[in-house]
Amino acid sequence: MTRNFAAWPIILLLTVLSLPLFVMYLFLLVDTFSNTAPGSLLPNEFTLEHWRFLIDPTITGDVWKPTLTTFLFASSMMVIVVSVSATAGYALSRLALPFRRFVLSGIMVMHAFPSVTLIIGVFLVLQFAGLYNSLTGVILVKASLMLPFGIWIMKGFYDAVPWEIEMAGVQDGASRFTVWRRIILPQVKPGLLSLALFAFIDGWSEYMLPRILAPSSDFEVLSMYLNTVSDPNSSTYNFNIFKSVGLFYTLPVLALFVLFQNRLMNIFGGGTKG
Amino acid sequence: MQISINNFTKTFDGTPVIDDMNLTIRDGEMLALLGPSGCGKSTTLFTISGIHRMDRGQLMFGDRDVSGLPSQKRNVGVVFQNYALYPHMNVFENIAFPLTVRKDNKADIDREVRAIAALTHISELLERRPGQLSGGQQQRVALARALVRKPDVLLLDEPLANLDAKLRLEMRSEIRRIQLETGITAVLVTHDQVEAMSMCDRIAIMKKGEIVQIDTPADMYSNPRTSFVAGFLGNPPISFLSGIAMENSFSVAPIKLRVPLGVHEGIADGTQLKLGVRPEHFGPEGDIAVEGKIAFAETQGRENLYDVALADGSVLRSIQPAGRNWALGEPVRWFIDSKSAFVFSNDGQRL
Amino acid sequence: MRTSSPYRANLLGLAFMTPAMVLLLGFFFLPVVLTSVFAFTNMSTATGISGGSYVVTGNLLRSLTDEGLDAKTIKALRQSSYIIDQAGLEKARTAGVDAKFITEIGERLKDRSFTSSSAFERELKTLPSRPTRVRDLKIAASAFEQSVLNVRYASRGEMEAALSHMLENPPQGAVEQIATASYTGWTWTTENFKNLVIAPDTWRIVGNTVFYVVLTLAFNVLVGLFLAITTFYLPSAGSGFFSILWLLPRITPVVLYAVMWKWFTWEDGFVFNIAQDLGLPAFNYMKGSVASAWTVVILVNGFVGASFGMILFSGALKAIPVQQLWASEVDGASRWQQIRYIILPHMRWPILFVTSYQTLSLLSSYEQIWLTTNGGPGSTTTVWALEAFKTALNNYTGNLQYGLGAAMALILVAVGLVLSIVYLRLFRFDEMMSKPKIEF
Repeated sequence: MTRNFAAWPIILLLTVLSLPLFVMYLFLLVDTFSNTAPGSLLPNEFTLEHWRFLIDPTITGDVWKPTLTTFLFASSMMVIVVSVSATAGYALSRLALPFRRFVLSGIMVMHAFPSVTLIIGVFLVLQFAGLYNSLTGVILVKASLMLPFGIWIMKGFYDAVPWEIEMAGVQDGASRFTVWRRIILPQVKPGLLSLALFAFIDGWSEYMLPRILAPSSDFEVLSMYLNTVSDPNSSTYNFNIFKSVGLFYTLPVLALFVLFQNRLMNIFGGGTKG
Repeated sequence: MQISINNFTKTFDGTPVIDDMNLTIRDGEMLALLGPSGCGKSTTLFTISGIHRMDRGQLMFGDRDVSGLPSQKRNVGVVFQNYALYPHMNVFENIAFPLTVRKDNKADIDREVRAIAALTHISELLERRPGQLSGGQQQRVALARALVRKPDVLLLDEPLANLDAKLRLEMRSEIRRIQLETGITAVLVTHDQVEAMSMCDRIAIMKKGEIVQIDTPADMYSNPRTSFVAGFLGNPPISFLSGIAMENSFSVAPIKLRVPLGVHEGIADGTQLKLGVRPEHFGPEGDIAVEGKIAFAETQGRENLYDVALADGSVLRSIQPAGRNWALGEPVRWFIDSKSAFVFSNDGQRL
Repeated sequence: MRTSSPYRANLLGLAFMTPAMVLLLGFFFLPVVLTSVFAFTNMSTATGISGGSYVVTGNLLRSLTDEGLDAKTIKALRQSSYIIDQAGLEKARTAGVDAKFITEIGERLKDRSFTSSSAFERELKTLPSRPTRVRDLKIAASAFEQSVLNVRYASRGEMEAALSHMLENPPQGAVEQIATASYTGWTWTTENFKNLVIAPDTWRIVGNTVFYVVLTLAFNVLVGLFLAITTFYLPSAGSGFFSILWLLPRITPVVLYAVMWKWFTWEDGFVFNIAQDLGLPAFNYMKGSVASAWTVVILVNGFVGASFGMILFSGALKAIPVQQLWASEVDGASRWQQIRYIILPHMRWPILFVTSYQTLSLLSSYEQIWLTTNGGPGSTTTVWALEAFKTALNNYTGNLQYGLGAAMALILVAVGLVLSIVYLRLFRFDEMMSKPKIEF
């Protein structure tokens, strides 16, 4: 920007402020490959033993089954969120609907509204619907709670597509569905991709909903698995193993984040244009 | 195909945009809808295309009533101001799109697309994406896409507005050439009178949702029905003087100007009037003398443009061949060609 | 003239909206309705969620005594009586009592009744084919025992019939009172709200919540602003490093994030070891003292939320025409003056937006607190949302009070709803709702 000002005081302040984060993430990485003597801060030996849980299920239990479950959970939720938002967002952006204003403001309220407060109500709904303790139930709930956000994001992307392109499609004799499918959808691909990434990461990291809505079901997602491993009362309690499992769990998310950082940035802002 | 609009009325959110409009576009002609922004010309265009719905009225394509039909069932080709090419398809796919949604067979599509591409001179661009084309090329692709399924009518919404001056000249004649070669009925929406006059068979001038006058460009220029029409056509524009009727003359007392009303006799003395004088009808030759001072001079090369300020502060514009150049501030005694001047009543109606 | 075609777009719109509407109605609208409805019930694990039955239990009798039911009735309810009727004989038969003995009971003691087991057993012992073993005699006797205590009746009618059968001349209204009290399902009540108002804990938690929201919000906004401005001035490599570092908490799964903080602040954790080496007080900072627990709670949440502000503020910063900044430098403005007079005025709307948006999400967030301090030590860091969640869905006594939890959640829902509507007005979101341009 400028050389008028000395940069070091703010860099120093910034560094001090960022130190806890830096230390935590640095040691998250370092501790998985090393051992540290009790009471000491710095590791004293390199080891791969904390990663043995990947091949040896006796250490923390089989990690691959929860991984697969988590993948299924995150991807089904992603598919639901993306497909439902892609259609509903288009309808709200472009199509004549009864009560359109009302529905739109309702979705905006839901978007701003903190959905965790509904968890008790959701719990009761699942009880009545017989979906309590089922993977399907949790997927539906997670997807639904994300829908207002997804619809809002997609509506924003659709709004940015020029009306003339849509009109041209209609003039060329295509039905509104064909126009959506063959002309508009390709224009919002970046939106679909961002939303899909965000939904997947969100689903992958989810802990509360499976824990509360399916506490004793057969499936276990990685977040619950990790929580079991990290239980201080468990015999396997060991920060280093926990960190290895945690890092293993977080790697896909980190990879996606690094690859698609720019796409995710604006969606992390809450999808808001405020 | 002849297009007729009968008793067309349209409001947006309670604001009337078009009020009881009637318009017939003859088979094979190119008609311009000309007017300032907000006059309802685009609304009319989009109503013909099937984007807007009529509140009241009837739209006929030949003897077919299409008022209630959506765009897909109207067979209309539209060229949008920003061309609205599909960015993810190449030129061939763009042009072929209307045929593919109609589910024509591949060989036919290929033949039709190549034929229309040849007509619009874009045969060598078929593999490109819209993003790789210049404005003029995009324009040609948009035209080709609009024409490929042989529509009943071609609608052009400000097609030259996004082009630079040189391309605008080129595309003006290109669009006219293609329209004449295909013989298609066409409607051009524009706010640029030069475009309308140079490209179209007839011009419909619109103002506040109504058609003020519809005529050939030449007739409209030489015989405007209102001061609005007279003011809209012609570049540099016409200038107006305000005065009153006095003994069968148009009179501006302070500068002792009297222009005989000729055929318009019998107007009560004292009636407020306006006199419209085109720049080419005011200069060193003519019959009614006016004295003034050069208030503005602009050299355009072949011609010079002058504003002459009269003693009462009103201004007459003049265009003169280059050669004898008048200087700024120079006093002149010039003449109005009274037979070519237009007399309007105070509310703008031509007398 | 209208044909069917103008409605095609509508049909497509409806088809496109239906999946979203079904899910939103099911998992947004319905939960709100259920939360509001069940806030007015005493539903809990004990009452079950679907209906209940009618049972008189020992506990119930004690509380009925407290409510002033007369001692005689209580005593009668507590007692068993023995009545020799057809049902009793059947029961004895299925219990495997000797058939001959049963016949004798039926013949000799028909329609007699006894008020105590000893009297009945004494009578049984007089019968000729009585069993030799006392245990068999007791089995036979128990077949004729009649008591309402701990017997489950499916309907109110059955319970009232049984009570009338047991009680001779019960006091006026006693049967109805007992039957009502014996219902084990949930009932409608406004007690939840009354209890909330009078409970001293409620106000402590409200105080905690306000404290938590205000401090975390301040951290989020100030640090977000600081980050946005500093990364704006830094060369791009540095700003890239810091923005990614600060985004990490947002994408790290919450379970891992919480345990990283545990590692950082727990006994034998990172800070603990440093403090020990420096001779500073070293203890479990997450749970060891109220002040340190609050610090951890606010930092844990603050570090997650700061990136939200950072992203929005950075966006707003980049939108400031760079000529303005150059001009101010040419005019000799110090950095602070530049920030104060050029940058901050541009930040007014983003700051307001982040503040309102984060207020809402902080009000309702409890995930991080739950996974770190869990509201402790004691309930010093318990906020409203965490308490509601624990009351309804996650406490250690095992009796989950859905009704009370719903009442607490309903208050949050109401606050959230009002705030979000206010924000939408404030930020004029309704201007984004332009009409569709294709009218067919």
